Amino acid sequence: MKHVIIGAGAAGITAAKVIRENRKDDEIVIISTDDAVYSRCMLHKFIGGSRNVAELSFIPPNFFEENNIRWRSNKTVTGVNIKEKRIVFNCGKCGKQSNESYDRLLLATGSQSFFPPIEGLRPGPAVCTLRDLSDAKKIRMKADNAKNIVIIGAGLVGLDAAYGLVEMGKTPTIVEMGQHILSANLDPRAAMTYQAKFEEAGCRFIFGNRVKSIEFDDFGTSGTIVFESGDKLPTDLLIVAAGVSPAIGLLKSSGIPYNRGVIVNEYLATEAEYVYAAGDITGLSESWPSAISQGEIAALNMCGIKSVYDDILERQNTVNFFDIPSLSVGRLNPEPGDVVHIREDQQRYQKVITQNNISVGVTLQGDISRSGFWQYLIKHKIPINNAQESLWKTSFADSYELDANGEYKWAK
Amino acid sequence: MKRILIDAEKCMGCKNCSIACAHARRPSGSLYDIALSDPETESRNTILLDGKKQYKPLFCRHCARPSCANSCMSGAMVKDAKTGHVWYDRHKCAQCFMCVMNCPFGVLKPDRATGKYVVKCDFCKDRGSEPECVKNCPTKAIHVKEVD
Repeated sequence: MKHVIIGAGAAGITAAKVIRENRKDDEIVIISTDDAVYSRCMLHKFIGGSRNVAELSFIPPNFFEENNIRWRSNKTVTGVNIKEKRIVFNCGKCGKQSNESYDRLLLATGSQSFFPPIEGLRPGPAVCTLRDLSDAKKIRMKADNAKNIVIIGAGLVGLDAAYGLVEMGKTPTIVEMGQHILSANLDPRAAMTYQAKFEEAGCRFIFGNRVKSIEFDDFGTSGTIVFESGDKLPTDLLIVAAGVSPAIGLLKSSGIPYNRGVIVNEYLATEAEYVYAAGDITGLSESWPSAISQGEIAALNMCGIKSVYDDILERQNTVNFFDIPSLSVGRLNPEPGDVVHIREDQQRYQKVITQNNISVGVTLQGDISRSGFWQYLIKHKIPINNAQESLWKTSFADSYELDANGEYKWAK
Repeated sequence: MKRILIDAEKCMGCKNCSIACAHARRPSGSLYDIALSDPETESRNTILLDGKKQYKPLFCRHCARPSCANSCMSGAMVKDAKTGHVWYDRHKCAQCFMCVMNCPFGVLKPDRATGKYVVKCDFCKDRGSEPECVKNCPTKAIHVKEVD
């Protein structure tokens, strides 16, 4: 049996590992545009100079040899032929088209950066996104001599770029359509903590002003951003961090159905026979743990071991800039009828949102010690135990059970 | 694999386990000059109180399906296929603290002194003996046992 995996990110690598664990003699091929295995979440550390390429890796150096996996790097898959069970790809070095047959195929191409429809915005020497290692390399190289670095988007990716640049000694301007940074990750109060730190480091933020157009010179090396207000901003390095979408380009004429992401059933199988999908390309979640979990489940099904993907998906993320850790799960802001509990001092800000005594959102900043249980409480809608003196004493203790092997489990 | 088994009913909440754990990581000093308020004095374990004031020891389980390792994006938190333990390498850690958020039992935390690594049970593997917490429990509420 020959398994072909497209993509060498969290989902693809995990799937390859799980297939090998279950099928000693099957053939495993990973095809990726990337020529290094790395964690995208660490790219800002490459920009900032605190990690080299090898230090961005999340697998042991001998992973491919030890698991007997053939890795075809620097190859971009352009199409899937589900009748012939074959994928078509372009070689990044020579540009030649080639193909590879499969018995089982896993689509794990991840996401791609989204270019907002702004007049005059197109790829060029002064325009970058931050998704791949090649993007981080370009930013690091261009930033050295750039005078006016502008980042469009103050989400996690935009601020990752800003943080890496600050560590390089640069002071980018960040343009955000909304009213505060990290609006998908934190409430306004917690976001303000980071905004103040970025400003202290020399960054500037422009909120609520939509970019109307961008005018580049004939060489594309510098240009002017024109806002709807009429304001103008010069730039010689523009980083577009306006969001991502599932990387489904290779499915265009394949006949494999997709909406925003590729459509999968509970076994993570697509509607095409023998074709599975895992990670961001499914559009189910954009988190690292989800990619790992989907990679594992898809791989088991590819091996003929029926496994259902039944993770409870809840918005969640952590943020850590300037050594201030934050995490948030569920709702960031209350809805009508919710109760908000807040505790704060100079070092920490903690907020729990409850609805009928069930926690529906938690935001912790500064002190996130031993707080993992909140995520479980929220996902499983477990009521706050009122026998405790206060909500802040909530912990695993009130649901404490041990199984025969000595593992913890949550009491029903 | 070897796991520290817990008999919560035997726990008197004396916290000898926590002091032993914290003391084992101190570069110098004796047990008699340990200061719990010192940010560098940190225990990997703790004892929780439930709503009925019963003691519930909280020790890393080195889970069969570890949520911490599955949420780690740097390769710092890894399940050892041979011993079954979940090892943490602070030099690989990227301080994203996804493991802290994803441990369903709330065992993990960033270190207090620097906030640059995760405080995580290492089974006292470099100390060549049974874990310090187990050695110092006066009621045998915790003990090491080979489990499946």
